[in-house]
Amino acid sequence: MKIKIKMIGPLIYEAGFSEKEVDVPAETTADDLLDILHVSRQRPKIITRNGKAVAPNERFDEGDRIAVSPLYSGG
Amino acid sequence: MFGWTGNILRVNLSAKTFKKESYNEDFALKWVGGRGFAAKILYDELKPGIDPLGPENKFVVALGPIAGIPAPNTGKAVVAAKSPLTGFYGDGNLGTRMSEQLRKAGYDCLIVEGKAARPTLLYIEDDKVEFLSAEEVWGQGTYATNAWIYGKYGKGVGVLNIGQGGENLNLYAMVRSLEGRAGGRPGIGAVMGSKLLKAIVAKGSTPIPQADPPAMKTLGLGDLRAVGELNKKTGWSIQSTTGVLAWCNEVAGLPVRNFRKTSHPEAWKIDGERVNDARIATYGCPNCTMRCGVTIHDHEGRESELDYENVGLLGSNLEIFDLPQVGSLNYLCDEYGLDTMSAGCVLSFYADAIERGATTGDFKFGDAERAKELLRMAAHREGKLGNLLADGTRRMARAFGHNSEAYAMQVKGLEVAAYNCKFIPGQALAFGVAAIGAHHREAWIITFELKHTTRESYGPEKAAKVIELQRIRGGMFEFIVACRFPWIELGWPIENYPKYFNTVTGLNWTLDDMWQRADRIYSLIKLNYLREFPGASRGDDYPPAVWFDPENADKEGPIAGRVLERDKYDGLLQHYYDQRGYDRRGIPTKETLKKLDLAQEAAEAERYGALT
Repeated sequence: MKIKIKMIGPLIYEAGFSEKEVDVPAETTADDLLDILHVSRQRPKIITRNGKAVAPNERFDEGDRIAVSPLYSGG
Repeated sequence: MFGWTGNILRVNLSAKTFKKESYNEDFALKWVGGRGFAAKILYDELKPGIDPLGPENKFVVALGPIAGIPAPNTGKAVVAAKSPLTGFYGDGNLGTRMSEQLRKAGYDCLIVEGKAARPTLLYIEDDKVEFLSAEEVWGQGTYATNAWIYGKYGKGVGVLNIGQGGENLNLYAMVRSLEGRAGGRPGIGAVMGSKLLKAIVAKGSTPIPQADPPAMKTLGLGDLRAVGELNKKTGWSIQSTTGVLAWCNEVAGLPVRNFRKTSHPEAWKIDGERVNDARIATYGCPNCTMRCGVTIHDHEGRESELDYENVGLLGSNLEIFDLPQVGSLNYLCDEYGLDTMSAGCVLSFYADAIERGATTGDFKFGDAERAKELLRMAAHREGKLGNLLADGTRRMARAFGHNSEAYAMQVKGLEVAAYNCKFIPGQALAFGVAAIGAHHREAWIITFELKHTTRESYGPEKAAKVIELQRIRGGMFEFIVACRFPWIELGWPIENYPKYFNTVTGLNWTLDDMWQRADRIYSLIKLNYLREFPGASRGDDYPPAVWFDPENADKEGPIAGRVLERDKYDGLLQHYYDQRGYDRRGIPTKETLKKLDLAQEAAEAERYGALT
């Protein structure tokens, strides 16, 4: 299935892209996605799906917009 | 007593006199420094009801026991006074060599009284104090003033100065330093201007007293290196705070069109990636190894130092998505010495009020050229419009009428920072109960709200988180006086800060000792508020009404159809009051004040307003 990924802040440089559509296996979870993107699961982060935060084991659906961001603290 | 010099420098500009005053250990242990010193001194020495722009107001520079000591990230000072914008205690912190130089000159605190007869540069060098003419740079911006000072004294001195905004008593004029640092959002720069105090320069030669200098040197320098390595590893400084913009746009938290909208398809044009692509240099404060000030060139080739707050409020909130133009607006605010956040809210409110027919004018969202003219007019109080814009959104709304106060984006008179809380209840609370008005410095809980609780919740866990962060961010970091960034952005352990404090002072404080002082300072600021506004009510702790207005709900996106709910917000506010030990007006109860050893201050407050 196709989902759109938006990387945020320094994660852009870690993943090597800012925003793109990717093809992932059906039932891919947030944790699976981190492995696909080669982003450490241990890195403090917040993942949102269509603007809402997700749990590590939450599955994505076709057409979702997923943002992967460091845990900002508002300066 | 180690860590503290034990001295305050009191200067009177009217009489051109100065006095070195000692304070005792009890005062140091009770109020620690920075915001604690400033809040206590101004509470004791200012009579409620005074004109904040009159000679009876006092301008305070306060440092803490670890300020200026090489360690992460201690190059900061607190500036404070009665705020002309909010009408009660106001303060801010900024990076400045003053943190080291004033301490080396022998002082932890400077109190400036009275009003100079002519524009003045106050020069402090150890025991010497001089009242020098600043007429040469009166009328000039902060960059020229800073360059003039460096030309006279070299770059190693501690500097605080103001631009045209402060000189002309713009109510959100700030204090500036290091050509890029600014502090004192609630018009503390205007208080300097009201005293005809253009600049302060400090230079010192005596080492800051420490309990164990070799141990602190090893600890501090080692940790500075470690923070620098952590910053490199996480890549935080690549975009620094400007990375937040893209995230706020994803989660419907970005200010757009005077906070009417929460995201925008063109936001990417001004996000952290674009800022990094346009980067000229990165600047930081003294004793900093995670620099946050990314500079870009504007269309005129001027270097402008950006962070998230000014891109959010001078960019997306004005629907200006041309990064160099945002850079120009930011540059002008810095040059004039204006708070970029209040300035952004003032301009967006003006455009919104025109659009809604509350006033007439020729400014529209997206018009960067007119925005530049309006900033100039506000900084110089040019004409009727310049005077109006210089007074901040609350006073503008009162002048406009037509219920425009509902969308004047401020709390207690201080404009909100760049987080759109249309449906972020905990952050709305954080703005509502921030000590000095809607400042983001004291508590920022948006990622906590989204990740560890539900956005819909108005539960006690959010009030508890706000208090936890207030104790750390608005408390400890503001009274030991250090920058919070290594802790909040890199996860540098919070336990390190009592370690620095104890190594410098020879004490053995825990984090709980810090929280007790933080709670005391917060309560004292509330007493200050009560004294100035005896009719204080819980309504004063509400965010702008537009965030509760269903007609303002997003039509699409993650929070479509949702806004804050008034009764639920009130419940959240009550959780905060209950956990803090405040009464239904948001004022500390007598019992709370007694626990915090504020009986004497409470008795003084009762002369003006009732306590329960």
